[in-house]
Amino acid sequence: MGTWIVLRRELSQYFTSLFAYVIAFAILLLTGILFNRELTVSMTVRPANPALVPSVLSFMLIFFAPLLTMRLFAEEKREGTLELLLTAPVQESGIVFGKFLGAWSYYTIVLLLTFTYQFILASITPTDIGHAFSAYIGIWLYGGAMLAIGIFFSALTENQIVASFLSMITLLILWLGDQAGLLIANIEVARFVRNLSLQGNFSTSFAAGLVRGEDIAFFAGVIIVMLYVTIHVVESNRWR
Amino acid sequence: MIEAEGLTKRYGKLVAVDHVSFSVQPGEIVGLLGPNGAGKTTTMRMLTGFMPPSEGTARVVGHDIIEDSMAARRAIGYMPERIPIYPDMTVRGYIAFWARLRGIRRPAGHVEAVLKRVDLYDRRDTLIRQLSKGMRQRLGLAQALVHEPEVVILDEPTIGIDPQQVIEVRESVRELGRKHAVLFSTHILTEAEQVCDRVLIINKGHIVAEGDPGELRQQLEPGTQLYVVIGGASADQAAALLSAIPGVISVEVQGEGFNVSTQAGTDIRGAVFAQVSAAGYSLLEIRAVASTLEDIFLNLVSRDSQAEGV
Repeated sequence: MGTWIVLRRELSQYFTSLFAYVIAFAILLLTGILFNRELTVSMTVRPANPALVPSVLSFMLIFFAPLLTMRLFAEEKREGTLELLLTAPVQESGIVFGKFLGAWSYYTIVLLLTFTYQFILASITPTDIGHAFSAYIGIWLYGGAMLAIGIFFSALTENQIVASFLSMITLLILWLGDQAGLLIANIEVARFVRNLSLQGNFSTSFAAGLVRGEDIAFFAGVIIVMLYVTIHVVESNRWR
Repeated sequence: MIEAEGLTKRYGKLVAVDHVSFSVQPGEIVGLLGPNGAGKTTTMRMLTGFMPPSEGTARVVGHDIIEDSMAARRAIGYMPERIPIYPDMTVRGYIAFWARLRGIRRPAGHVEAVLKRVDLYDRRDTLIRQLSKGMRQRLGLAQALVHEPEVVILDEPTIGIDPQQVIEVRESVRELGRKHAVLFSTHILTEAEQVCDRVLIINKGHIVAEGDPGELRQQLEPGTQLYVVIGGASADQAAALLSAIPGVISVEVQGEGFNVSTQAGTDIRGAVFAQVSAAGYSLLEIRAVASTLEDIFLNLVSRDSQAEGV
């Protein structure tokens, strides 16, 4: 019950905030430009990549996801509303789930808007819709994991800038983990590190049209672990 | 409605609240009076379920705040010292959100009623960031009342607002006493006197005195202070004249007049007037100076240490 009430508030907060519209606009503008470039390339060089937009997003979201989540707990702490939330008859988990699902829903809506590119592509040239779907499922989960990491950092501080900076750094490191093979000589270690990186569970599977259980489990696992830790961080406010 | 038993909060070695026990009856307004850092906010935070006590417990409308926390929380309306706001929400949206969280499924009617009650109904569609400080204070009160709690806990509700609004808030607190059990904190003695049925004086985590506010004041006040300005006399002449009046303990120069301390229970105003006019001077100003809470605490603390033989 608490989850649903918090989710509703967060979602309406996104739709009444100029900042959230600016983020959505930036995502659509950037992916739109890159999609148009891809269309031009597809006329001469090679067929268009159906996973183009999700692949581009996997990098872009490092910078955009923290902007969507930095507010979630940092602002509540600064404005003092967290104290009131923690005296309301709801569990901490309800508050954390509500906020996470609110951010994820907003992200899902923006993601669905980019799906129009697939319709445009399909109307111009025969395209592998299955491949596109797989990449979209991947980036949807990938985004969820990024938002869960962002929520964790937002709960750590009452400074939104610090929260978004820390999540961007973390996401960048997790993204670079994909290239562990370039840095680590021992192939087993490199493979292990890569399997722990966000990008490593996306670039060669979902983005290539491959939906694998282990990748789904990985992203779901990241989300669950991060939310679990966040619940305890929020709870710790009671002890200060 | 509230029964606190040995509530204690420790932060490491520091004991913020030390075995505090008290109760608040239905329809009663109880003031928690104390200087800053006395443990007022910590006590309230334990009662509202924000932080668990290190020791002891309390029951709110019969629900234990530890064992049955959710039921206790539902029965409480809480207004923290700093009004918590969501700047980008409308007044109505904000109140409806808190109503839903506290278990009201269709809050529209409740929201309308409470906004009329705190006189914010005309502002129901205004964004909270645009509200003045006084309106935010009333908004804070509205969120505490929207679910019609049996117990209302207000932390320093008159801090940081202008005098006219202070009067309004005090009136609304008194009004609350009719329907709810009210616990509210303040560091202003006269406020406690005006508003409360009963006062708990808290210092350094202990309840040091309890009772009817008027009685407490009489018991604890170290005598009365007057501020007197005399015209036509030199400072020395005037001081000598005032010191000679029976019942005067001390005379201190303050600005262009004098602070005159007198023994408790004596009224020297008539004597001051008679003496001044007999000496051919003019009495330009005479008024009572209310003793501050600090004075009372000094008195209380010194009496405590005398009693302990320190």
